[in-house]
Amino acid sequence: MKVNRRVVLKAAVAGALSAGLPLRLWAQNRSNLKFGLAMPLTGSQSAYGKDQVTAAQWAVDEINAKGGVQGHKLEMIVLDTQADAQVGISTVNRLISVEKVPVFITAWSAVVKAVAPIANREKVLELSVGANSPEIASLGDYVFTTFPLADVDVNAVARYAHQSLGKKTAAVLYINNDTGVEAAKVYRDAFESVGGKVVAYEAYDPKATDYSGMLLKVRAANPEMVHIHGLITDLPQVIAQMRQLGLQQRVSTYSAGYNPNIIKQLGPAAEGLIVTSLAPGVGERPQVKEYVERWQKQENRVPNGLPYTQYLHDAPVMVARMYEWVLKNKLPITGENMRKALLGVRRFDLPLTGVVEVDATHRVKKPVNLMTVEKGKFVLLATVN
Amino acid sequence: MDYVFSILILVGIYIVLAASFNLIIGRAGLASIAHPIFFALGAYTAALLAIHFGLNPVLATLAGAVVAAVFSLMISLPSLRISGDYLMITSIGFQLGLLQVIKNIEITGSQGGLSNIPTPIAGPERGAVFSIIALAAAAGTVLLIRWIVRGPYGRAINAMRDDELAFIALGRDATRIKIAIFAVGCGLAGVAGGIYAFYFQYLTPEQYEILASGTMLTMVVVGGMGSTWGPVVGALMLVALPQAITFLQLPPSYMAPVQGMIFTLLVILFLFLKPQGLVSPEPPAPLAHRRAGRV
Amino acid sequence: MFEPAVLAQILWTGLATSSHMVLFTIAFALVLKVVKLWNFAQAGMMAIAFYAMYAGVNQFGWPTLPSVGFGLALTLAATLALERFGFRVLRARRSSSLLFFIFTLVCSEFAAYALTLIFGTEPAPLFERILSPVRIVAGIAVSDWDLLALGVTIGLATALALYLRFSSDGRCLVAVSDNAELAELYGISAKRAYLIAFALASVLVCAGMYLYGTRTAVIPTAPLQLMIFAVIATLLGGMGSVLGAAIAAVTLSLLQSYSILIVPSKWQGMILYVFLFVTILFFPSGAHPMRLLRRFGLRRG
Repeated sequence: MKVNRRVVLKAAVAGALSAGLPLRLWAQNRSNLKFGLAMPLTGSQSAYGKDQVTAAQWAVDEINAKGGVQGHKLEMIVLDTQADAQVGISTVNRLISVEKVPVFITAWSAVVKAVAPIANREKVLELSVGANSPEIASLGDYVFTTFPLADVDVNAVARYAHQSLGKKTAAVLYINNDTGVEAAKVYRDAFESVGGKVVAYEAYDPKATDYSGMLLKVRAANPEMVHIHGLITDLPQVIAQMRQLGLQQRVSTYSAGYNPNIIKQLGPAAEGLIVTSLAPGVGERPQVKEYVERWQKQENRVPNGLPYTQYLHDAPVMVARMYEWVLKNKLPITGENMRKALLGVRRFDLPLTGVVEVDATHRVKKPVNLMTVEKGKFVLLATVN
Repeated sequence: MDYVFSILILVGIYIVLAASFNLIIGRAGLASIAHPIFFALGAYTAALLAIHFGLNPVLATLAGAVVAAVFSLMISLPSLRISGDYLMITSIGFQLGLLQVIKNIEITGSQGGLSNIPTPIAGPERGAVFSIIALAAAAGTVLLIRWIVRGPYGRAINAMRDDELAFIALGRDATRIKIAIFAVGCGLAGVAGGIYAFYFQYLTPEQYEILASGTMLTMVVVGGMGSTWGPVVGALMLVALPQAITFLQLPPSYMAPVQGMIFTLLVILFLFLKPQGLVSPEPPAPLAHRRAGRV
Repeated sequence: MFEPAVLAQILWTGLATSSHMVLFTIAFALVLKVVKLWNFAQAGMMAIAFYAMYAGVNQFGWPTLPSVGFGLALTLAATLALERFGFRVLRARRSSSLLFFIFTLVCSEFAAYALTLIFGTEPAPLFERILSPVRIVAGIAVSDWDLLALGVTIGLATALALYLRFSSDGRCLVAVSDNAELAELYGISAKRAYLIAFALASVLVCAGMYLYGTRTAVIPTAPLQLMIFAVIATLLGGMGSVLGAAIAAVTLSLLQSYSILIVPSKWQGMILYVFLFVTILFFPSGAHPMRLLRRFGLRRG
């Protein structure tokens, strides 16, 4: 090959450009199929964000090792959102206007909500994977969730409390942001629809660390069950302060609580905690077993928020299938066509999460596993369809 | 290119904020630091009117400015009786209290923020058009304030700031002037809020906390309180510095805190080395009896 | 809702959780009284105190007392340096109140950023387990933490009161706070008094952060929020009075705690501001415009 100035120049420019650019997984290549991943890499939620990125990374590597999508390599562009709406907005703006991705994956309800107008305006497909605010289903034409929203699992745990555990009264404590507000309504409506009564319904500030006021109110109301809908960072605090006030009721929460760290932090106070899981467990799918074993071997631990990482692992697989559809139908790669692809493929059979069906309702339905803490470990309590 | 436009728009908005803030604390000497909340009032009002009533953005922004001006009474009226540090703390209380209300009522989207604010302009020219609007607003604000300050009204303001008792003893009405200045300053902040809302289409209460007060104060003080161009310089610096720091290409988990550290250190440096501000105060407009000796 | 057991529980827990707020308020009020400074840098002091103790316990693996000592030492060093190289210079220049405000606020911001860089933003309690043994006494849940908190607060507050009243240094502080120039004429060094005031504030802040951090998790920006309470309580207690500030702190805390009987707990924070506003409107006590303006140099920009 003739080494002429042009080649050298091109290489030099590419090298210089890529030096200052965001985390890139493959060198600049015209035929790469790009998509964005906007996750908290720093900040209070980064422990979850980083593990989710790792899971997605594994999927991308696997796909590319098998030859990519019709010979093209899949390229994932990872940027930090700090799980913060403002940062998320500038991150997504960058993904769209600088990186020109036709589709991006993001999570954390606040971010999903904040970047929705951008996705709709620029006609870029936004895949929400992990956020569960029911509002997400109505954020616009270009916003789709691949993860069941709160009206699926919170509904299940609320009904279970009344119908199977026989709890007649409940208190709902929720974080005063997108994650909590809508989900709390779901719990209340579900619990009351089967005949229960919600005797306390309190919100707490996301920045608060002292919950005495709210918990004293719970104490006054004396419920039989307490449902706490917060982030993994405040959940153990609330439960700990509850126990410190002599409140011994059983506690339920949603999938964010399905985390061995909670048991470590709370010790015996975690016994009886009910959490939901929306992804198949190690016993249900051999691929999940392999996946968890890989984490143990490589990182010496289970991932933070295991079920979420399962969904994040499968998200690039979905993107790959969507690209396949677009290429097969010889359509240009645009956000509009990726959206068509999503609805065109419609039914995705994914390695770690099983079957996911996407349709125009912008919702997904999956069976809910209810787990509980028994003798310091999570065990399956029930499965609700 | 979008990136450049959003910077220009921010510069425009910050200039409006800094100049209007300077009018209140620099020119009139009224120690209120609650400016961010008026920015918020303008933004939320404009946004909510557009979302729920489909009001056109210009009218919505004006409405936002009016709301901000009206709310300014809640600080200008108490300021008649208390001043100095008392007023400063009260204004912080007012700001944070109102912010608590915004954070807890549903209509403002509470903690999660207000999203999907309709935009009047779509398409690739969006950035350019908004830049022009923001910069025009900035220019308009600076010129308006300059006109106020240079005219006879301005001399009254200076006199009131320098020696309020003497001012009142001479039979002038400090009350009316204070209320008017507050209203104008806060109204301008409201306009900035409207522009912000319609461009960024997303508002969150976190932007208006006490750190925002610190930021706005920094723009005014570091820029120079006694001059027309001081706030402009301050605003430019406040937008340019953080952006310049991003070019240092630090790893993401260090980027934000290091950026913050460099920025705050620079502010401290300015405070010590150039306490008068980057732009020296303008000499007061000449008056006959000033030459007779110090007042 | 209004049963005696619930009311009593609210009283007990309200008092216990007011403990650290009282300590922060006393520290703030003391510095205001003696140094005549609204020390917004106290948030930075609080952050340094906590994270130094945290590092001691979690990163160096020291037992509790040496870690607390380490925290205190670092806080003292930072505070005294701030006074010596920061405030003293600004004071000599007769800087305005606004300038002091920006300076102290920016110092706190700097501390928050530096600590974020070192420790990250994940919420961290001082010890991994935040639960202490609880017993039910006459229908009220009383935890070991509650007892420690009340004991430490009452102890330190009393010690401070006795110090100010009976020790010679303490009386110097009071003299300087009344009239610094006059005190200088009598040979009392105002500079020394300022240093002592800051040192005492550091002790109170350290104790307060220990209590706070053993009960909940802390993030680098938390102290700024906590400090707003101290500022408002100080203002409401009357600006020259440490005792007034302490009483205001306890009262506001209890008001906040009892408010949950009437309003949803998410509105608890509002109580503070409503109180502030109402008080300012009807009782702008001691706010003589001339005296304040001259003293804090608001005139000279």
